[in-house]
Amino acid sequence: MSRVRLSGWLVAVPMAVLAMATIYPLLFTANVAMKTRREYILDRFSLTSTLHGENLTTAWSSVGMARYFLNSLVVVTCAVALLLLIGSMAGFALSQVRFRGSSTLFLVCLAALFIPFQVIMVPLARIMADGGLIDTYPGLILAYVAQFLPFTVFLMTSYYRAVPAEIIDAARIDGNTLYGVYRRIMLPIGAPALLSVGILDALFCWNDVLISLLMMPSADHRTLMVGVTALRGQYSDDIPTFAAGVLIAAVPVLVTYLFLQRQIADGVTAGATKG
Amino acid sequence: MRPVGGRGQPENRPRRVRGGWRAERLAPYVLVAPAVLIIVVLRLWPLVLGVNFSFTGDGERNGTTVGLDNYVDLLDDPLFRTALRNVALLVLLLPVAVAIPGLLATFIYLRVPGHRLFRSVYFFPAVLSPVIVGAIFNLLLAFDGPLNAILGGLGIGPFDWLGNPHVAIFAVAGVHIWATFGMALVVFLAGFATLDAALLDAARVDGASLAQTIWHVIIPGLSRTIQFVFVTTLIGMLTSMFGLLYVMTSGGPEGSTYLPEYYIWVQQGQMNRPALASAASTALFMIMLVVGLLQISVLRRAARED
Repeated sequence: MSRVRLSGWLVAVPMAVLAMATIYPLLFTANVAMKTRREYILDRFSLTSTLHGENLTTAWSSVGMARYFLNSLVVVTCAVALLLLIGSMAGFALSQVRFRGSSTLFLVCLAALFIPFQVIMVPLARIMADGGLIDTYPGLILAYVAQFLPFTVFLMTSYYRAVPAEIIDAARIDGNTLYGVYRRIMLPIGAPALLSVGILDALFCWNDVLISLLMMPSADHRTLMVGVTALRGQYSDDIPTFAAGVLIAAVPVLVTYLFLQRQIADGVTAGATKG
Repeated sequence: MRPVGGRGQPENRPRRVRGGWRAERLAPYVLVAPAVLIIVVLRLWPLVLGVNFSFTGDGERNGTTVGLDNYVDLLDDPLFRTALRNVALLVLLLPVAVAIPGLLATFIYLRVPGHRLFRSVYFFPAVLSPVIVGAIFNLLLAFDGPLNAILGGLGIGPFDWLGNPHVAIFAVAGVHIWATFGMALVVFLAGFATLDAALLDAARVDGASLAQTIWHVIIPGLSRTIQFVFVTTLIGMLTSMFGLLYVMTSGGPEGSTYLPEYYIWVQQGQMNRPALASAASTALFMIMLVVGLLQISVLRRAARED
């Protein structure tokens, strides 16, 4: 039922056209990725007649996408694990424990939320170089943690604020230390928020190109997104292989979106409504 | 905003823990230490360092104080001036970038047929990396690509979307809007959830048209959400178009698609002029600060009206 007088279908038709315009670019790319080079040059728009995955295997093995994929997977996994651990620890302390300086420390985290990476990237590169962390996996992981930690702390703090005091009091009366309360109570209670924030952090890290370009100059340390930018130069005359590489890089995000759309949207709106 | 109660205070402390009382007092600091340490050393400290760098020289004058020379160089550099002009252009495009998701969210909220599907589909590009989006649109916007083919069927064009200096920045901005409007859409929908449905029902009973309902009920009811979307969309335009620029135009043609963030990257990475890059960073931060302060003043005024 419509809530307002609205000739629904009059609006639905242009919206459907827009929806197709939203999906079409990816379908076009997938279609091109399945074509042979000859097929593509003859007619780039027709539906591919053959569903052969040669381009995919070429992009995966000989172009080095497999290596980049693995690099990304390792870096993103470590970064997200650290973000969730450090972020939930800080979120718990800042929301549920009263201690001297807590509101100042929360403000410190909040202020960092408004510093874009572009503003600090030059000195950060120097700090990382001084620490011998340029072109190393720990360096990139640390850069990602630093970049997305304010957001993670902020969301975990606002989530934990809603936990009733009685739960924590009861756990303390049972003899738990503060660490025990964190480990046995707050971590399990925080699971839905950790999932939402974790998916968003993972997307941010996976999709990043600027931080990775800055931190990882050498070719075999490339993350997947930097690998995609390199594809462009290498395969400018072989568009189907290029499209196949793009498709490989898009698939993990596509699958994540199909299964976890709700959590992603929740994370985005939690950031908005609590901000 | 304050912590609700005095959990962790001595009166609740069981006897068993008293031996570790000192450790317990330190515990909250231990819990926040990693986060605060990382944020201070790798986010706040670099900001201070960067502002400092921006007053020192590059190359032979490395480390020496040069006053405002870098800022003078910036304003003399046609590429940076183009970057600033493009920022102004994006600000002008901002109402469009906010109105599109706002209108679509309104229709979805009013349960246009297929609203669930539309919501999922529209949000989808927002999760793709700018690199992937840029790579895909390199294919779509090619001179002999699908977009020109479709327009050609209508008797328009063809355009050299990414090769014409007067067109390219609009093409890249358009792709950015395509890729991110789903994010704003979801935020708008969350705002709608707080809107009083009784007002909408009243509007319907009174026989208000859709335009009247939007103007008199939805826009006033969502003023905070609208402001939030304005600011986040602008921040997105200023700080998350690097991937698109890097893949689609590399700042070209003729430097026409430079934005401050791309300029910073080029000066730092290619030109080896970190001090000049720091000056550009500081300028970008100033722009963002002005945006933030504007937001606060607008919010204050809105709060007074409430």
